[in-house]
Amino acid sequence: MATVAFKNLVKAYDKTEVLHGINLEVADGEFVVFVGPSGCGKSTTLRLLAGLEEITSGDILIGGRVVNNLEPKERDIAMVFQNYAIYPHMSVRKNIGFGLRTAKMSKEDKEKRIEEVGAMLSMTELLDRRPAQLSGGQRQRVAIGRAMVRDPAVFLFDEPLSNLDAQLRTQMRLEIKKLHQRVGTTIIFVTHDQVEAMTLADRIVIMRDGHIQQVGTPTEVYRHPANLFVAQFIGAPSMNLIPGKLVAKGIELDGGALVPVTPIGASANITIGIRPNDLTLAEEGEPALLEGQVSVIEPLGSETLIYVDIGQREVVATVQGRILPKLGETVRLNAPQDEIHFFDSDTEIALKV
Amino acid sequence: MLGYRSLSIKQKQVVWAWSFLALPVLFYSVIRFYPTFGAILLSFQEWNLLGSKSWIGLENYQKLFADPVFWKVFNNTFIYLLLGTPLSLLVSFIIAYNLDKVRFMHGTIRALYFLPFMTSTVAMAWLWRWFYQPVPIGLSNNMLAAMSIPQFPFLKSTFWALPSILAPAVWAGLGFQVIIFMAGIRAIPTTYYEAARIDGVSPWTILWEITLPLLKPTIVFLVVFSSIGFLRIFDQVFNMTTNDPGGPLNATKPLVLMIYDTAFNSFDMGYAAAQTVVLFTVLLVVSLVQLRIMRDR
Repeated sequence: MATVAFKNLVKAYDKTEVLHGINLEVADGEFVVFVGPSGCGKSTTLRLLAGLEEITSGDILIGGRVVNNLEPKERDIAMVFQNYAIYPHMSVRKNIGFGLRTAKMSKEDKEKRIEEVGAMLSMTELLDRRPAQLSGGQRQRVAIGRAMVRDPAVFLFDEPLSNLDAQLRTQMRLEIKKLHQRVGTTIIFVTHDQVEAMTLADRIVIMRDGHIQQVGTPTEVYRHPANLFVAQFIGAPSMNLIPGKLVAKGIELDGGALVPVTPIGASANITIGIRPNDLTLAEEGEPALLEGQVSVIEPLGSETLIYVDIGQREVVATVQGRILPKLGETVRLNAPQDEIHFFDSDTEIALKV
Repeated sequence: MLGYRSLSIKQKQVVWAWSFLALPVLFYSVIRFYPTFGAILLSFQEWNLLGSKSWIGLENYQKLFADPVFWKVFNNTFIYLLLGTPLSLLVSFIIAYNLDKVRFMHGTIRALYFLPFMTSTVAMAWLWRWFYQPVPIGLSNNMLAAMSIPQFPFLKSTFWALPSILAPAVWAGLGFQVIIFMAGIRAIPTTYYEAARIDGVSPWTILWEITLPLLKPTIVFLVVFSSIGFLRIFDQVFNMTTNDPGGPLNATKPLVLMIYDTAFNSFDMGYAAAQTVVLFTVLLVVSLVQLRIMRDR
């Protein structure tokens, strides 16, 4: 178990800089998820931490020790790859044991350790099978087993669930979380899926274009996104954004509606954000924030998404209950004032009220 | 009349399949199978290419198995195979494995290795023959002489002639094998190597336990392909020993050269056919055995 720290981490390929100074401290035993769209630098950060690629400048520390120039094997880490990287010509036992090849242990101890890991991942009866005879989820478990067997200080997961179908992904997600609760080792997990990030992480690191956008607990990044990017990236369906202008009494939205709030440090152009589940249908006679026609209805079972055309743009609202507006019907939407997020349209930074 | 339209989808597929298969079936029947069966039939006959054929039963085979030259030649053929195949595979793998890591002038180097494969065997054989000539003609011996080292007999020695002929044969095939090996090496996902790096195993372990096992399909293909090539070796031998084909004292003569000799110098077509059948059987057995041994269990 160990802490991990990045200090002004920069990575450049030739002259193209892909990471522009990453600073982050990961506590011992913490589960940190890096999330962002493809090309944001999250996998590169992980590969730098693993030692698979060399850093351009800055420092990487594992357990307080600078590991910049150490070989991957000297860093006391284990990594689970997206395509599992389990060897097709070896049995599960040999695959898991591969991580112990260089360990200074007796053969019996290694054998015992493999059995232990096999039992921990409930695949004792699969140990003598070949990977080709396993399902996707089982292969994933072998990959995790191979990482676990060495009992590393830090686990690295590089999009390990991307190759699984939706159902298995949910199941493996749960297993990884339980595993972390049981072994308590520091985990750094990379994904492009914000749901995975939200469900797994102690803290989420949201990245874009080689910069960290925000670091925080799932609740923090959901409740208080630091900027427009985070606001849109976290939460499904995405936050509705409506541009507006600062006027004397508050913010006048493009549609003409007025939000009677003046955020601190507001400039001329303000974008407001409302999460779909904060939008509610306004009662008869009650003043409404937005008004428009229902253009699409997506029933999800427990709730229904309605897309409302409010002029130049469309907003999504989550509607509970069984009495739903019909297609083409004009609806009026409201949102509680403290659930409205404000952003500077030019700098994209969130503004406090 | 029942037209094409009234057929079921399955029947239509059959019609199409057979129309596409017609040409290869015709080709194989006329160009491959007919002559093969003709040769097998001929091996039980006596024929001098012009006169009439007469049935002589197993006489050709009896003569063949009693012929000490045949056994010498049979032996030579297997030496070509047993030396050539492992050697060419080993060398081409070493080249491919290292070339794969070279970025500098990668394409040029690869082209250089591939060049001999595209060159005419005859031209190559004559060039190497020139290398092997004694002083003052041969390149190698001139170099040895310049360094005051005694002459090396190369093609004149009954022991060294065969390896001397094998060398250009191996060299000529390298380009092709290197390309195939590199394609195989490239096909191995890089994460396998990255995982191994994180596990901290030695390069030697990576080579023996990851690269080579994963290259097995490539290796099987190349072993079979190159074995067939060495069992059928002819051009190099014929061109490098023209004044005494297969010499000295049959030391370099392979089966194909013996067949050629019997057929077009002695005009003993039936006897040549019997030798061909033996060669065919050897090729078949060797290929089947290799495929069986190296098949994935």
